[in-house]
Amino acid sequence: MKDRVRALDSRLLWVILALMALGTLTLYSAGRNTPQATIWLKQTVWNLMGLALMLLLANTNPRRVLRYSFPAYLLGLAALAAVLVVGKKIGGATRWFVVAGQTFQPSELMKWVTLLYVSQRLGSRPADAIGRLELLGAVGLVAFPMLLVQRQPDLGMALSFLPILLIIPLMKGLRARWVVALLLLVTVGGFAAWKVALKPYQKQRVMIFLDPSSDLQGKGYQVNQSRIAIGSGGLIGKGFTSGSQTQLNFLPVKTTDFAFSVWAEERGFLGVLLALGLFGLLLGRILDAAKAAHTTAEAYFCAGAAGIFALHLLVNVGMVAGALPNKGMVLPFFSAGGSSTLSFFLALGLIMGILYRSKVK
Amino acid sequence: MDPRQRPLLHRRLGVFKGLAWSLVALLVLIYAWLQIVRHGEFKQLAMQQAVKIRPIAAPRGLVLDRNGYRLVDNRRALHLVIQREDLPTRPEVVQSLAQALELDPAGLMRKIQSYRLAGKGRPLVLKENLDDVGIAQAERVRARFPFLSVDVAPRRVYLGDELAGHVLGYVGEVDEPMMKANPDVFRLGETIGKEGFEASGNDKLKGVDGQKRILVDQLGTEVAHFGQTDAVAGHSLYLTLDAGLQKVMQDAYGEEAGAAVVLDLRDGGILAMYSSPSYDPNLFLNRLSQEMVDRYLNNPARPMINRAIQGIYAPGSTFKLLVALAGLEKGVITPQTVIYCAGKKNFYGRDFRCDKPTGHGGLNLVQAIAQSCDVYFYEVASRLDVDDIYATAEKYGLTERTGIDLPREKRTRIPSRAWKRKAVPKDPKWYAGETISVGIGQGAVGVTPIGLARFYATLATRGKVLTPHLFYGFRSDQTNQLEPAPPPGTKETPLDPRLWAVLDEGLYEVVQSGTAAANPFIREIAREAPFVGKTGTAQVATFVDKSHYARQAKHLKDHALFAGYAPHDKPQIAFAVVVENAGFGSTAAAPIAAKLVKYWFVDRVKNPIPPPRGRMVDPFAPPAEAAE
Repeated sequence: MKDRVRALDSRLLWVILALMALGTLTLYSAGRNTPQATIWLKQTVWNLMGLALMLLLANTNPRRVLRYSFPAYLLGLAALAAVLVVGKKIGGATRWFVVAGQTFQPSELMKWVTLLYVSQRLGSRPADAIGRLELLGAVGLVAFPMLLVQRQPDLGMALSFLPILLIIPLMKGLRARWVVALLLLVTVGGFAAWKVALKPYQKQRVMIFLDPSSDLQGKGYQVNQSRIAIGSGGLIGKGFTSGSQTQLNFLPVKTTDFAFSVWAEERGFLGVLLALGLFGLLLGRILDAAKAAHTTAEAYFCAGAAGIFALHLLVNVGMVAGALPNKGMVLPFFSAGGSSTLSFFLALGLIMGILYRSKVK
Repeated sequence: MDPRQRPLLHRRLGVFKGLAWSLVALLVLIYAWLQIVRHGEFKQLAMQQAVKIRPIAAPRGLVLDRNGYRLVDNRRALHLVIQREDLPTRPEVVQSLAQALELDPAGLMRKIQSYRLAGKGRPLVLKENLDDVGIAQAERVRARFPFLSVDVAPRRVYLGDELAGHVLGYVGEVDEPMMKANPDVFRLGETIGKEGFEASGNDKLKGVDGQKRILVDQLGTEVAHFGQTDAVAGHSLYLTLDAGLQKVMQDAYGEEAGAAVVLDLRDGGILAMYSSPSYDPNLFLNRLSQEMVDRYLNNPARPMINRAIQGIYAPGSTFKLLVALAGLEKGVITPQTVIYCAGKKNFYGRDFRCDKPTGHGGLNLVQAIAQSCDVYFYEVASRLDVDDIYATAEKYGLTERTGIDLPREKRTRIPSRAWKRKAVPKDPKWYAGETISVGIGQGAVGVTPIGLARFYATLATRGKVLTPHLFYGFRSDQTNQLEPAPPPGTKETPLDPRLWAVLDEGLYEVVQSGTAAANPFIREIAREAPFVGKTGTAQVATFVDKSHYARQAKHLKDHALFAGYAPHDKPQIAFAVVVENAGFGSTAAAPIAAKLVKYWFVDRVKNPIPPPRGRMVDPFAPPAEAAE
């Protein structure tokens, strides 16, 4: 056992354990005096299972895992297709399998499987040897599960596949004119969409994003309450389990999408600084793993994983502050949920494995 | 890994790392902006929605009769309300809420909007006085609209039901025009007196609302409670009214329409005041149903009018005392002047008929009053100018409002030349023939029962013009006993004792030997409790042949009047009784006066009527049941 634990990268492990602690405290406070009072315990169970999974993968040669990426990808596609047919419908979306009373969201795992498979494909040969057609094929490999996820529909989850494409600039570099062309496309496309394609209710959604206070009882309500929670927390926060927005239930969905608002309200800006610093260290360490990786495919996987973690961080932490549209995207270690927790630990386990291999040679 | 590729990859990963830390820095900046720069603003917002100030309604004072019997009480009632801070904004929400509660959506929206514009105030009441079914419905609807709450508030109960509807009036929510007119005085949703004494005594009864600061959760449920300012209860008041006498009056009227007033000659206190048909103020505490509107507001009998102070009636023969007084004071007649009645007399080329077609023969003033001879008073009037009659009426306070502490009192109408110029601009000239009609209280003369009662009080007190009033005093908070308030002022207009004696004798003879004496019931009561007074029969329409009288439609029948005072030797009360479309004063109005006198002087001591208890056993009973 001691040998096995040695496979874990201590710097990454401490960051993970610290973030886990923060998240557990947040969930304890968010669940107090609600029907979800024990959610912090449930999440601890998921976390422990995640740690075990991580330990297992850290001791597994990444190459063995990469070898199974293609069948895993096919299996994932099948699962995404199946969930559309036999999945459980909750709140207008069909995203979940129900197994033995537990819901499981295949798209959470599929994102990592896709990353694994694309890394494996693009990393198998030198970067110069890969042509444009093959790059386009890789984009297709990402786009196909994205479309399936969007059918559920789950735009937030579909978008979280996008960081996989970061592998391409990592391989080929980024040219200034590409960036300009992309920005132009987004601007012109966005303008055209606003003028022609968007329906009034969709425009309204955009307007509510731009000014959440314009619809306080509808969509804007959640974000508005979240901003009040964060802002009223101030520099040092209202104290653990003493946030009025959290404890009096003004803050919505506070154990999942808005968990970070709970932390920000009760621990204040200093707490936010701590949490964001830990996330920064996490991303940095994952990118260190990319540098240290033995193989290109492993490096690509780590870079893509950093991108996925970063996107979750940006979208969730930005959204609860009202800086980004209200699109559900969970925050690792803070938002409660089994599928996402296990998936994140799966990725971290692979990264641990990559780091370990690079050290032991 | 391809060794050539590694440095390039490392450089790019370095850029990635920079981007990652930039992302963290960006988020830190966003949170610094919210948590440090805009902290004050959000702290304020968080406070606003979690800490609420809820008004505590001050209990309104009770209203007691002069003996301390409760006329108006407070009971507990449940209302479905929206607290002011929780008013919904979105039209869809209001629409579905109105549907769920079976309310008019447009009306609800208007009400919500007007509430939003106003400052602090009581919650918006959606459904009042919930019964069991109402509470069940409210709880169901509350599950869908968590901003609703159920408020406990005191509710007025008028124990006598119809006993003194017009006197007591009722309370309601302050209406918009009233609030806009006095924005500093009234708050939205405040309960104020709308009618009757509830309105005129509002300032004394209402008290001062308190408030409490509470912590609420997102559903508006009170979680904690810090600090409150207690409400100061309104004063409980005594009225001069005697509930027993009032009950006698109510029973005496039965189905008849009209009004009666009894005044206390010591200070002008109103011992009883009844307007028939009456109404039950309890029914006006709820939203008016169509049935209620039909029954009260659209009723041709106009039960909402307080006839005692708003009904203008031709005084008929009861006015003859004023004409006599004017004649005596002007010197056109003396107590000994005898005038011959032949059943009719010609003035200015037109025959004016007496009530007795065969004529009364020669009469002095006492006999003329006792027999109510019209010809005698035609003659007195013909010797006077209409302005002489007006001047006497003015001297004894009959031309003004009495100043009773009830809202919307009407003024009596005593004609004069100046009055006609103003009232009939098409024919502004005063004709001498019109004065003849005024002589017997017909023509343009119109008095309120309260005005008539006060004039007879002036006769009884030999010249005191009292101010009738209902407010008797406060109930002391310490002893729960009456603390009498000083009665409003009295104007002294001394009446020559010799003239007074003649009028007093005339009124005595009316009951002993005159127009009222034919009724054995009246003679019997007059023996027990000697009262005096004057009958009056005021024409509503002129009839060609009086033998057809009984066959005339009810609404064309004469109004019957009786006004007087009692007891004869040392008067204590004065009264006026009007019975609409009832025929003769002696048969319809005088018996009611007799019953009042009998109760006041005989039965009140021996056999008093118990205090009102109210019909409403269950305060949650719906109004329809309460009405039947």
